[in-house]
Amino acid sequence: MRHPRWTGGRALAILLMAAVWIGSGIAVYLYFGAHRTTLADQARKPTDVRLKEGPISHLPGTVYLVQGGSLYRLQRGSFTPVLKAPGGASVWTQPAFKPDGQGLVVVRRDYGSSDLYSVDSAGRETPLTHNASRAVEANHWAFYPHLSPDGGSIFFSYDRKDPANAYNVVLSVYSMPAAGTFSQAKKWTVPVSYTGGDVQPIPLPSGSVIYTKYSFDNKTNKILSQIYLTPRAGAPGKPLTAIEDDCSQPAVSPDGQRLAMICTGGKQFASVEVAHFDGGNVGPAQVLVSGQLAAQPTWSPDGASIVYFAPQGLNGHFQLWQISTPAPAPPAAAAPVPSPARGSQTAKPTPTPTPTPTPSPTPPPQPVRLTSALDFDATSTIAWHA
Amino acid sequence: MGWRGMLALFLVGLITSGLAGAAAYFLPVVVAAYAQTGQARTSTPLPLISASSAPAAPAAGSAFNVLLMGSDDDTKFKNGVYLTQSMILVRINPATRHVTMMSIPRDLYAPWSTGGYGKIDEVHQYGDAASVATVERDFNVSVDEWAWVGLAGLIKLIDLMGGVDLATGNPVLDDFYPADVGNANPYSYKRVAVLPGPQHLDGAHALEYVRSRHGDIQEDFGRSQRQQQVLLALRPKARNINAADLPSIVASFNGEFKTSFNLTDLGRLRSLISLASQISDPSQIEQIVLVPPYTGTDVIGGADVVTPNWNLIRQLVQAKFT
Repeated sequence: MRHPRWTGGRALAILLMAAVWIGSGIAVYLYFGAHRTTLADQARKPTDVRLKEGPISHLPGTVYLVQGGSLYRLQRGSFTPVLKAPGGASVWTQPAFKPDGQGLVVVRRDYGSSDLYSVDSAGRETPLTHNASRAVEANHWAFYPHLSPDGGSIFFSYDRKDPANAYNVVLSVYSMPAAGTFSQAKKWTVPVSYTGGDVQPIPLPSGSVIYTKYSFDNKTNKILSQIYLTPRAGAPGKPLTAIEDDCSQPAVSPDGQRLAMICTGGKQFASVEVAHFDGGNVGPAQVLVSGQLAAQPTWSPDGASIVYFAPQGLNGHFQLWQISTPAPAPPAAAAPVPSPARGSQTAKPTPTPTPTPTPSPTPPPQPVRLTSALDFDATSTIAWHA
Repeated sequence: MGWRGMLALFLVGLITSGLAGAAAYFLPVVVAAYAQTGQARTSTPLPLISASSAPAAPAAGSAFNVLLMGSDDDTKFKNGVYLTQSMILVRINPATRHVTMMSIPRDLYAPWSTGGYGKIDEVHQYGDAASVATVERDFNVSVDEWAWVGLAGLIKLIDLMGGVDLATGNPVLDDFYPADVGNANPYSYKRVAVLPGPQHLDGAHALEYVRSRHGDIQEDFGRSQRQQQVLLALRPKARNINAADLPSIVASFNGEFKTSFNLTDLGRLRSLISLASQISDPSQIEQIVLVPPYTGTDVIGGADVVTPNWNLIRQLVQAKFT
């Protein structure tokens, strides 16, 4: 009978094989671990990216945006932190320029309440409202600040308590003196109960205010939005867009003749649309961007382009995009203007015999993505000043 | 042992160790599959109730119905007895690449498979299968598979998928939103404000969006629309998932998920994920919420309930889910 001879060479071979076996087991484990899907790209801080060479470096003026609760200033392709996120549940959001360009009004959102703050050019903050309370239901929200063209008043959305029903938390448009206190605030609009209310006010030089009103649409069984205009505090508003268009986030061009807005038609796509605006009526809208989740259209100081937020692919979060705007169209059509199915870069026909703009033979402008790997707060307005 | 023997030993060992590595990686999936999948499709009905018999599994590639259930499973509820805050019946037709979703109102006053009448969300106290059997009997529909998820599981799943991008419809404001997830006092409440418009929501904020109902003019119906919206917004994320993601997905649920799907249904699960990537046209997805005239409202036993118009509902179900 032969017995195996365990030579040194064989023992070494067994040891090597054992090492390879262990290694292969670990390698297979690690292989699977390394092939997990990246379901969310890691967002970078704006200050960590260098964009000076890209189209973003050509944006004129100063842009303020919010990422991760911090407020950033964008100038010549470079981001500078202005207000650092306070921490915990607190964030900065929704900056609005003061007309003189010397400072901002910003929302500080905390756990269960939010307040307006005045922020000077040095980044010093001063509270304008005091909405926090120890009793949960006694807190208030203040959102969407916007200064009047003369800088004398701040318009914003605020949830006055409904004494008849505590469940009816609904925002109304208010105004208060920019140098005053909330006790001087005036209620401008009467919201539809249980809809979320009236938001995104934009005061006009005429003294009127454009805002977004939410109401229930019986046809679709959904709460949808319309752009409204009201001439004075307490006056009934008038719709500028049709309810089925579900338009919101109005932005008036610097020359006051065009209105940019986001319209969804009640669907999960949000188009950037631009329409002629004569101060009282909105003409047929032209779809600039469709098929995206676009948000916060904001005019450039010269009115030649619009920046907005939209996702970068499936996992890329919301980035800053820019698109050139068409020349102002001739005045046309009375509001509201029902529209057909959305999604094409064409002017929407009106239901009335009013003439529609002649389609331009030039190709429609294409949007340009200005940032990547950043994760901007798409519910925060963009402030852009010359 | 000669060198040939050594070589054979080496190769066998190599394959075995590789399989061991894979087994170690997928061990959590196997454990979860054993514990959480392959649950009974329907309950055994009480003798007095003539519930439909358990359906046979449909042939591969044919249309099938899945009942999705979501529960508030914090410490308010003891011993795993939860209500179904959300019930969505989904019909998936791989051949036509069409999906139909119908939300069942949680306050729907309906006969239970276990006997008696009550809000349909409460029958879940008798188990998942009791809810499934109730839906099958009341809606006269065959439920081929079901899945249940708890609130914390939903938060973790959405976070694992990197959050969700969607256009929220209107400001969702609630001064009495339950602050019961990860809170020592499950009866406390907080204020929430989900602002309108396109945005990125993490799991916690997505839950606020789909769960809040106090400030909605449509109450539970409005919430049902939002639940369907978030489910559909998650759909594109499913395109990216592969087998290597399963352990982390299973870990994220951590007992917050149960389903009647079992390991033999992998083919159907794969076709589901494949279908999710193929559906790009919104018209391929039909969303139904049982608003009037399918339902009305009443007060029964001092409780606000949603009353069904079974004739209309069953006609609708017959047309859309069979």
